[in-house]
Amino acid sequence: MSAISMEKLSKVYSSGVSALAGLDLEVRDGEFVVLVGPSGCGKTTTLRMVAGLESITSGTVRLGDLVVNDVSPRQRDVAMVFQNYALYPHLTVAENIGFALINKKVPKPDRERRVRSAAAALGLMDLLGRKPGQLSGGQRQRVAMGRAIVREPSVFLMDEPLSNLDAKLRVRMRSEVLRVHKAIGAATLYVTHDQVEAMTMGDRVAVLHDGELQQYATPRELYDRPANLFVAEFIGSPEMNLYEATVTGDELLLGSQRLSLGPARTLLAPYRGRTVIAGIRPEHLELDGGAGAGHAGMATLVADVRVVEELGDEAHVFFSIDATAAGASMLAAAAGEAEAGLLAGATHNGIARTNSRSAVRRGQRVTFRVDTERIHFFDPDTSMAVPRMPR
Amino acid sequence: MSAAAMNSQTRRERRRRERLVERDAAIPVELYGLKRGTVTALTTCCVLFALFTLAPVVWVIINSTKTQSNIFGSFGFWFASPFEFFHTFANLFRDIDGDGTYANWFLNTVLYSLSGGIGATVLAVLGGYGFARFEFRGSKAFFAIIIAGLLVPITLVAVPLYLAYAKVHLINSVWGMILPSMVVPVGLYLMRTYVELSIPRELIDAARIDGASELRIFLRIALPLMVPGLMTVLLLSVAGTWNNYILPLIIFSNNQLFPVTVGMGLWSQHAGNSGDANLYPLLVLGGLVTIVPMIALFALLQRYWRGGLLLGSVAN
Repeated sequence: MSAISMEKLSKVYSSGVSALAGLDLEVRDGEFVVLVGPSGCGKTTTLRMVAGLESITSGTVRLGDLVVNDVSPRQRDVAMVFQNYALYPHLTVAENIGFALINKKVPKPDRERRVRSAAAALGLMDLLGRKPGQLSGGQRQRVAMGRAIVREPSVFLMDEPLSNLDAKLRVRMRSEVLRVHKAIGAATLYVTHDQVEAMTMGDRVAVLHDGELQQYATPRELYDRPANLFVAEFIGSPEMNLYEATVTGDELLLGSQRLSLGPARTLLAPYRGRTVIAGIRPEHLELDGGAGAGHAGMATLVADVRVVEELGDEAHVFFSIDATAAGASMLAAAAGEAEAGLLAGATHNGIARTNSRSAVRRGQRVTFRVDTERIHFFDPDTSMAVPRMPR
Repeated sequence: MSAAAMNSQTRRERRRRERLVERDAAIPVELYGLKRGTVTALTTCCVLFALFTLAPVVWVIINSTKTQSNIFGSFGFWFASPFEFFHTFANLFRDIDGDGTYANWFLNTVLYSLSGGIGATVLAVLGGYGFARFEFRGSKAFFAIIIAGLLVPITLVAVPLYLAYAKVHLINSVWGMILPSMVVPVGLYLMRTYVELSIPRELIDAARIDGASELRIFLRIALPLMVPGLMTVLLLSVAGTWNNYILPLIIFSNNQLFPVTVGMGLWSQHAGNSGDANLYPLLVLGGLVTIVPMIALFALLQRYWRGGLLLGSVAN
């Protein structure tokens, strides 16, 4: 059964701005679903509509079997963790956690037991008497979680709960949130703009852009088979390299370089003689160690190295090839003028993720090996992915 | 050493340390781009202005100790014997000429100010919260009308006010004084602004999600955070009623209902007309006694004006 389902959910603000356009989404019992997208894509609006904090322009929200469009938030039995915690500053940790139980008129002994067990689960036992002002960021975040889990809700909503923590703590809290989710088993809708968070945490991930659902799938599926250019660029870090390419018979013409297509040529048959957008993930570009041609789908790509970023465990090689980048211009259009200027002035048009021990230097000419089966193809007119062969 | 003594010692020690920290944190004015000379000139201006404002208060304090002839006959800013303070003080609370006693007027002022001030604060707090955190049809128009009330001076509406009050029997009625004193548009405006700036929407959303009713959210979550703003409005509205002269002058003809302002106005008239031998010292001391409660109230409520109420509530 589904715990949350949204049908044709739309939100148009009185200013005329449309935040969400006809979203269909379903969260199954016990499932952890992540809503991800750049800021302004409508993900927080969606969450607030499920919580009842935002009016619904059209469409329906169901919790279980019940349509809750006109049900007030206090009667929805949803728990929510807010981006900025929203703790009650004048109440102690125990009072913050127990506030919802008092509202539900839970008898005192039962209430105290539940507050203590929630606090114990989150390691807050020693802090029960403190006020939020005396806690660190991570502890406040835990109190916000505690306030939600103590209610044993059927639905759990989280609005970027980790975005105010420092990078290290964020990574640690990711697994903690998942542990809590496993323990209480409530269906969870989790909003984030961080695709790493989305990929590592979600059972399924819904990618939103401009108020529209781009793809709703498992993290693996999003990575392996992005439905369109937006998802392809958004998922993966560093992002996918996208180039305009021409299909000529058995080969792909990328700038002046010819890549032998191998088995991929069948799916590109309808595009013969036309332009497609080819996407290569930075981790699928291998530095050619001169080990030979490999299997049939292996092709090579010669590139000039512009910058090498050493990360210790790996290196990012920024290179340029003479093909026209399809991604950067798209991104620049979306990101606004300031960044557009920066990108236009950049000299590289591709990134490869390589072993940091490889001695690639700036200014060097290198050869990458590419498995053409791993290249993603998109229709330049519709931005949709060219369907891939089942593996 | 007793625990209390130790406590006061640690408190004194803490205060000393705080003062030292403050001194260390002080930045030389040159760093603000100011010249020493400019600073001296500005400070002199401030001191002169302070003297100008405080001079009447000092005059009242000094002259409250004098006899009527000394008030007129001796240097205004220094004492003159005989020292009449206690004598005048005793007279102040005695019925002098059947106009009504000062004590009576004083209690009237206390009654009007407290009930009017508390009423005004309750209305301002409720209304300000409502306007700041709820959206309803016509809310902007309603608010505009309330704010427009700020711009109308009471002298302008004196005649219509009198006629309207006469119709509803509020002339010579305590309620005629208290009810209008509960309407303080500037208090509502202050509270709305205060709520908007100091009570994050997320906090109210969180309480809604936590299943609290709107009334409970207001009482348990919002109200405790509104205390500094609330105290400001309380002080403003109490002081406003305390000093109100025009309204009671219009609605009261019964001496027994006068507040101090109108009562002393009456004395002042008598003193001028009949040259009553002992009214001027009473007027001076009466004025002094009237301002003492206001100073006390300021001192008392001051500790509520503190920041950091939201500490730890929301991350930026």
